[in-house]
Amino acid sequence: MHASGALEAKDYKSDLKPIWCPGCGDFGVLSALYRALANIGRSPHEIAFVSGIGCSSRIPGYTTAYGFNSVHGRALPIAQGIKLANPDLLVLVAGGDGDGFSIGGGHVPHAIRRNIDITYIVMDNQIYGLTKGQLSPTSPRGTHTVTSPEGSLEDPVNPLLYVLGYGAHFVAQSTPADQIGLTAVIEEAIRFPGFAFVNVQSPCVTFGDPNQQLKAHKEGLKSLAKINYDPSHRVKAMALAQTYGKDLYTGVFYRNPNPPPTFDSLVRERQRHMAPQAMPREKILDTFLPH
Amino acid sequence: MPERVLMEGSAAIVEAAVQAGCRFYAGYPITPSTEILELMSVRMPQVGGTCMNAESEIEAIGMVWGAAGCGVRSMIASTGQGISLMQESFAELANAQIPIVAVNMCRGQGDYFQATRGGGHGDYRFIVLAPSTAQEAADLTQLAFHLADKWRNPVMIMGDFLLSHTSEMVSFAAPALAELPPKEWAVTGAKGRRGITLSPLGPSEKLSTDVAAALANVTAKHSAIVSEEVRVEHGFLEDAELVVVAFGFPGRFVKYAVRLARERGLRVGYVRPISLWPFPRHAVASAAATARAVAVFELNAGQMIEDVQLSVLGRVPVVAIGGISHDHSGFGVGPLLNVEHILKRIGQVYSGKEDP
Ligand SMILES: Cc1ncc(C[n+]2csc(CCOP(=O)(O)OP(=O)(O)O)c2C)c(N)n1
Ligand code: SF4
Ligand SMILES: [Mg+2]
Repeated sequence: MHASGALEAKDYKSDLKPIWCPGCGDFGVLSALYRALANIGRSPHEIAFVSGIGCSSRIPGYTTAYGFNSVHGRALPIAQGIKLANPDLLVLVAGGDGDGFSIGGGHVPHAIRRNIDITYIVMDNQIYGLTKGQLSPTSPRGTHTVTSPEGSLEDPVNPLLYVLGYGAHFVAQSTPADQIGLTAVIEEAIRFPGFAFVNVQSPCVTFGDPNQQLKAHKEGLKSLAKINYDPSHRVKAMALAQTYGKDLYTGVFYRNPNPPPTFDSLVRERQRHMAPQAMPREKILDTFLPH
Repeated sequence: MPERVLMEGSAAIVEAAVQAGCRFYAGYPITPSTEILELMSVRMPQVGGTCMNAESEIEAIGMVWGAAGCGVRSMIASTGQGISLMQESFAELANAQIPIVAVNMCRGQGDYFQATRGGGHGDYRFIVLAPSTAQEAADLTQLAFHLADKWRNPVMIMGDFLLSHTSEMVSFAAPALAELPPKEWAVTGAKGRRGITLSPLGPSEKLSTDVAAALANVTAKHSAIVSEEVRVEHGFLEDAELVVVAFGFPGRFVKYAVRLARERGLRVGYVRPISLWPFPRHAVASAAATARAVAVFELNAGQMIEDVQLSVLGRVPVVAIGGISHDHSGFGVGPLLNVEHILKRIGQVYSGKEDP
């Protein structure tokens, strides 16, 4: 902690040493996250950080927040349970493209349509890293992997379009190659009142195609802040999201200027409204009468 | 307040859960457990809790995992099929020592193996309680929340179509249960402590790298649970030549059939396991010690009979007198759940006409 009492990036750093491969993009996500959290200034014990399984899903263990290391693909349901049971917590979710868009893909629409106030960071390396290089739902068509030795035959999921299509109110993309930009979008996503999604193009240097994913993109890295893009239109954002896999636009794709109330706040309202309807004990029976 | 009110077993479980302090529920509709979800959607918000009509059983168990991890008493209910979908999370949250209460309103009694052996991976166990009446369902639900917190281990209530849908008189006396320590492990946001990782690899300040040690630590409590948490009812055992073992709602039918057999002069007794895990091995073994045979009535192809055999250890013959039995819908009561039929089967085994 700083002498002034302000929290610093290192206050969010646990003493567990990351076991990612040297050069893995996830290191850059972690350092941007430390900085974003320090900027926000919530104490680690007020943060619950949930993940599934994957290289990327190790990230909660490297922070001093409460960590939930769960099962492959199930981080979002757990995070929603946490937010509803303990709404005072800042709830973060992170994981891989496989965790979020194949095995756990069915949970994403429902977390979005409820608009629960959680931040979901996908570390999109377009490969299954932990299990050593199989085809992922975001691998571009034609990708050669150990399970697609002749090149894959299917189109990838477009994570940006996916979440925009289901109605997410905050959608951003960035890359660890742009630390300042990545820190800024993570911070903004966390501050956003409602479900916020950040797709991080975080290359897997061991099994992925970092050249395809990042080096090529470095030349074509396009900061939305620099092109005078207005992120307040969903349909425009969806048009821009079509560039996924071709150009690497970074920044906020969509931010609803008038976000609706969050599910968690509506739940509290419902509780206040229904509390007077609770039967006195002697009338419990009435609750169970057929309507 | 009237001493007792008339309600279905499902309603009794819901009200008992509310009284036990349950404040989070998530579920997905499936007969015959849907009533619990419907009633929870009324009762939870009334008492400041949350009920989620989840997108699937997989999402529901994830939500319950998260809420229980925050230290909030949390429940989930389903039927065997939905319970099948939850198994991966069951196994992992048990290893992460998250206390939840899961209700399985089975179709028939076909889910005994699923409940007591678990369909998930690894060495985890659920404490399993099998009520036979709505009143017992209410009492065991309150106990279930206590046991879950006491042992930091999931507890399952195993019921069936009849328990769920039969209306009976129930009262809700506050049970006398010991005080439990505060949940220092929970994701509560309490100040002055570091974050904790709630993970199958040990809820510690950081992820353990010694997987074997972490899992051994979690499973060490199993033997204590076995010695402390056995619950069983029995009757007419003193001079019983035949002992009938049955659990859950059918256990009531067996009890009645045994009474009728006694009236007809047959020396028959019964054992009704209330905890299916830990199984009342000693009660079954000592009942069998003075008997000629043990008969097992269960509405499946023969599942609990394995625990009975493991208790009796071959000292007397163990005979199955139940079987798979459903109505045309597959949910409800089949022809074998009939006191006359059970009595006839008891008579056959008793008279030695049925050889094991
Ligand atoms: C139910 C289940 N199936 C399969 C696995 C094996 N598995 C672990 S991580 C993973 C994929 C990881 O890919 P991704 O989610 O993209 O994360 P990354 O490692 O690339 O960060 C798989 C298939 C598992 N842990 N659980
Ligand atoms: S395998 Fe890939 S994703 Fe996993 S740590 Fe190594 S570089 Fe990162
Ligand atoms: Mg991946």
